[in-house]
Amino acid sequence: MGDHRVDATAEYQRPPAEVRFADELERLRDADTGPRPPGWALSLTAARTFITGDDALGVRRKFVGDTALIDRALVTLATSRGLMLIGEPGTAKSLLSELVAAAVSGTSTLTIQGGAATTEDQIKYSWNYALLVSEGPSTRSLVPAPLLTGMAEGKVVRFEEITRCPLEVQDSLLSPLSDRVLAIPELTGDDSMVFARDGFNVIATANTRDRGVNEMSAALKRRFNFETVFPIGDLATELELVEQEASRLLERSGVAVAPRRDVLEVLVTTFRELRDATTEDGRAMDRLSAVMSTAEAVSVAHQIGVRGWFLRGEAGGAADIVECLAGTAAKDSPEDLARLRRYLEQQASRRDGEQWRALHAARRLLPG
Amino acid sequence: MAVTFVGVRHHSPACARLVRDTIRRLRPAYVLVEGPADFNGRMDELLLGHEPPVAIYSYHRDAERVHASWTPFCAYSPEWVALTEGRAAGAEPRFIDLPAWHPAFADRGNRYADAELRYAEVAERLCREFAVDNTDVLWDHLFEIDTDDTARRLDAYFGLLRGEAEAGEDDAARESYMAGWIRAAEADAGDRPVVVVTGGFHKPALETLAGSGGTVWPDVPEPPEGSTGGSFLVPYSFRRLDAFTGYQSGMPSPEYYQRLWEGGPEEAASALIETVVARLRERRQVVSTADLIAARTLTDGLTRLRGHRAPARTDLLDGLVSALVNDDLDQRLPWTSWGRLAPGAHPAVVEMVAALGGTRVGRLHRDTPAPPLVHDATAELERLGLDRGGPVALTLTTPRGLERSRALHRMRVLAIPGVERRSGPATGADPVLEERWVVDVSDDGGRRMSALIEAGAYGPTLAAAAAAVLDERMTSAGRDMGGLADVLFDAALCGCADQSGRIAESIAAGIAGASDLAALGAVLEVALGLWRHDRVLGTARSPLLGTVVAEGVDRVLWLVEGVRGGPGPADLGRLRAVAAARDALVHASGPLGLDRDAALGVARRVAARTDVPPDLRGAAFGLGRALGDTADPVRAVRGAAGPETFGDWLAGLFALARQEVLDPATAILGVLDDLVGGMGDDDFLVALPALRQAFEFFPPRERETIALGLLERRGTRGSPRALLRTDGPPLLIAEARALEARVDRALHAAGLEATS
Repeated sequence: MGDHRVDATAEYQRPPAEVRFADELERLRDADTGPRPPGWALSLTAARTFITGDDALGVRRKFVGDTALIDRALVTLATSRGLMLIGEPGTAKSLLSELVAAAVSGTSTLTIQGGAATTEDQIKYSWNYALLVSEGPSTRSLVPAPLLTGMAEGKVVRFEEITRCPLEVQDSLLSPLSDRVLAIPELTGDDSMVFARDGFNVIATANTRDRGVNEMSAALKRRFNFETVFPIGDLATELELVEQEASRLLERSGVAVAPRRDVLEVLVTTFRELRDATTEDGRAMDRLSAVMSTAEAVSVAHQIGVRGWFLRGEAGGAADIVECLAGTAAKDSPEDLARLRRYLEQQASRRDGEQWRALHAARRLLPG
Repeated sequence: MAVTFVGVRHHSPACARLVRDTIRRLRPAYVLVEGPADFNGRMDELLLGHEPPVAIYSYHRDAERVHASWTPFCAYSPEWVALTEGRAAGAEPRFIDLPAWHPAFADRGNRYADAELRYAEVAERLCREFAVDNTDVLWDHLFEIDTDDTARRLDAYFGLLRGEAEAGEDDAARESYMAGWIRAAEADAGDRPVVVVTGGFHKPALETLAGSGGTVWPDVPEPPEGSTGGSFLVPYSFRRLDAFTGYQSGMPSPEYYQRLWEGGPEEAASALIETVVARLRERRQVVSTADLIAARTLTDGLTRLRGHRAPARTDLLDGLVSALVNDDLDQRLPWTSWGRLAPGAHPAVVEMVAALGGTRVGRLHRDTPAPPLVHDATAELERLGLDRGGPVALTLTTPRGLERSRALHRMRVLAIPGVERRSGPATGADPVLEERWVVDVSDDGGRRMSALIEAGAYGPTLAAAAAAVLDERMTSAGRDMGGLADVLFDAALCGCADQSGRIAESIAAGIAGASDLAALGAVLEVALGLWRHDRVLGTARSPLLGTVVAEGVDRVLWLVEGVRGGPGPADLGRLRAVAAARDALVHASGPLGLDRDAALGVARRVAARTDVPPDLRGAAFGLGRALGDTADPVRAVRGAAGPETFGDWLAGLFALARQEVLDPATAILGVLDDLVGGMGDDDFLVALPALRQAFEFFPPRERETIALGLLERRGTRGSPRALLRTDGPPLLIAEARALEARVDRALHAAGLEATS
């Protein structure tokens, strides 16, 4: 159980948070004087610092969002209720759940990925059938899944996209969450019941675009505290984040110029307005059905830079925004395309500034 | 040094406690408080023994601006405590700040709004450092819960906030004025101490400025020549104080702080959890005992995580929201984002915010002089001869009649009993020039007097108070177009349309969020009519209505481009909206700066789309023609022909551009004639109802012109009227035709041809 050793020196595309930030976690552990809830790797305060950052300790800020949300999430995990992170796609729910798990348990890899085909085996346990046939049910032939491991070791288990699972599969969390015990009826004696150790809890994430949490059974809902994760609240912060992430991606793609600030500002403003269905000056619009998340904005900014650099040898401009938006935002939806066109025609034309004018002028690049 | 400076945050119980303790300890000769110095002569009135929250309402009007502002006090306001404790300790309480009318306050509606908002950068850095979401939370974290050594920590906080920052011009003017008072008081007090209570933000500067300079009592600046103004006491309410719901306010959640002041954090938390749960259960929301335990546990956990010795305001709110909300939220929590509560917020959040905001309303002492509105209203009604009971008939076209009408309407808008309108203009578009009223001045049971006193909080004169009430109604109408239209019309009737720039702002905001095209069209129509024509009510070319028209046109165009749908019956409401936009663009685009080219662009795009309902496409085509588009109408008409859509398309066109059809140069009539003539019987029957509706846009005379044109095309002469009349009811004729057709078929089947 728990043999998820990742070598920090190897070239993985994306090592888990506890590996990526191993040195930060170590510094926090060393400096940690606060009381730790039973089974936790860090105190609540240190776990919060891990996420919100602390320049003095050399800990990066990893999640841009309300600090109060992180406080509530951590306190929830220290109680007997699970934590449900819910929000639009691309609001960094999974990142937050990974960071919290890494801070609380020191491991973020006990993860169940929810989907239409998720079964109870993938959540609780299954069997090594060769051993099962030869030896019968025993702890040797038992193959634990993340929930069983988490309970037995007292770790936080992550359940991604829980609402995409069939309802009866979701409900298999009921007794682990309320009675904190998992029955293995095939085994006998003490092995037939796995009692959760201190430190065990569940962080689930759910996405408001898929089947929402409305269909989730009331019994299960009651066992979670809900935290809605919102898109980034203010333009400046989001702009900064997009600029930072896009620059990093562009550098990796071999683009030698940094993205232009004024272009990014137009891009991020456009994304925010189409996402919130209101312009910055308060005019109501239609919401795009496509996901207009910060992550999506970063990817568009990346595309713009790549197009600009490799096609024309410059940083990319507002016209590229239109072409990329047509691809990302209006993916196979004529309605979204029409909304986008209306936005470019009637809202972009009101704005001052060179890039806004360029964006308005480039509206004809929209297909159809 | 005999002067003790206490730097406070307005509406902070922790600061109020510090002020109280300082005054009790020092027993000073003077207590100097940041507040309007022109109110010093009436300090006794302020200290009569009112029940807070109360406020000093100050107003000012000169040639350039109208300004109204409030200086609110609650029981836990440090300023209030300074005044009452100072008086109790035998000190002389004095206000030392510039009067509210002074240009230094030109942009402010609330004297005690937070100064740090004007110097946000440092505050933001502090929030980051302490890992909190905004300065309200930071404040609670630093001062409200842990009260040890408050004075020193306040100094550090405000010192940092003020930092190296240059004070703005307005703050500098106020600080140098306040310093003058401090020096004079210090000189006058001799060896007795002086306590100065001001915003902590001003304290460092005041300490420096008070060190050197003259010691004469400063003059209270006189308002400029030709201006009117004054100050008076009004009851205030927690709702208006609460930043989450009210406007122009300082610290949020007044009820919470009231309880914190009275009983400390533990008691405030327990009492408010109880209130929230009671309120939720009253609204039939399920709150189980388990939820309550969870709320308590989470609150305690958060309290400990954040290092508080007792739960702070947001520990309580965060604990409650985690435990009570079992869904995703549509909007951010107001206490983390610093926003207002928007409509559609989660019921639990709404109740939490309401419970912490509270509903307390202040009461003035009986002996408080009546607000100026009472005198103004009495004098105004007497001047206009409306102080006698009975029916009143007014002619709106005479200046006196209009003046009397406005006075009565202002009374009506302020909900003062005893005035009732029996008849008069109802929509702004109707040409009614007379009004009938019934006035009752008997004032049974003093209801009228008490209503006037209450309304006094809105302003000193009938006009100002009515404008303030309308402003409030406008804000609460939000995006409800019907409500907005009512307020707009009331504003016109009261002659208040341009009294307050805020009315224009809020209606513009409402229109910018409108989604019902027909309702918006109705508002636009009324506003345009009043703006263009109404000399009776004096609203012609009113800037307020101009704003409404400009915003309305913008919004109509935006909404029109968003309509999608297949063939369907013509929607007369939206056609009227497009027509109203056309009128505005044609008649008002110059003075209002409307963008005709952008409108033409919208018209062309909508007319050309195939997934737009036919009536709207026709209307868009008509709009384009009206704005000077030269697209070939004959082609467009042919393009729209199809039995199911033709009539609706024409309805749209006719609603916008009837003249086009009547104009022989466009040859549209001929095309229509050919198209209708070419329809088979079945197609014609399908198209008929919509065609009838379309042609109803023409008044009888124009229909006659059309009939004449049709006769001319056929080379026949005769009375066009005969064509417009039928011999019997259409249904009977249709039945007769059907019968004839059947007979023809029967004869044909029998081999007998009918001869004609």
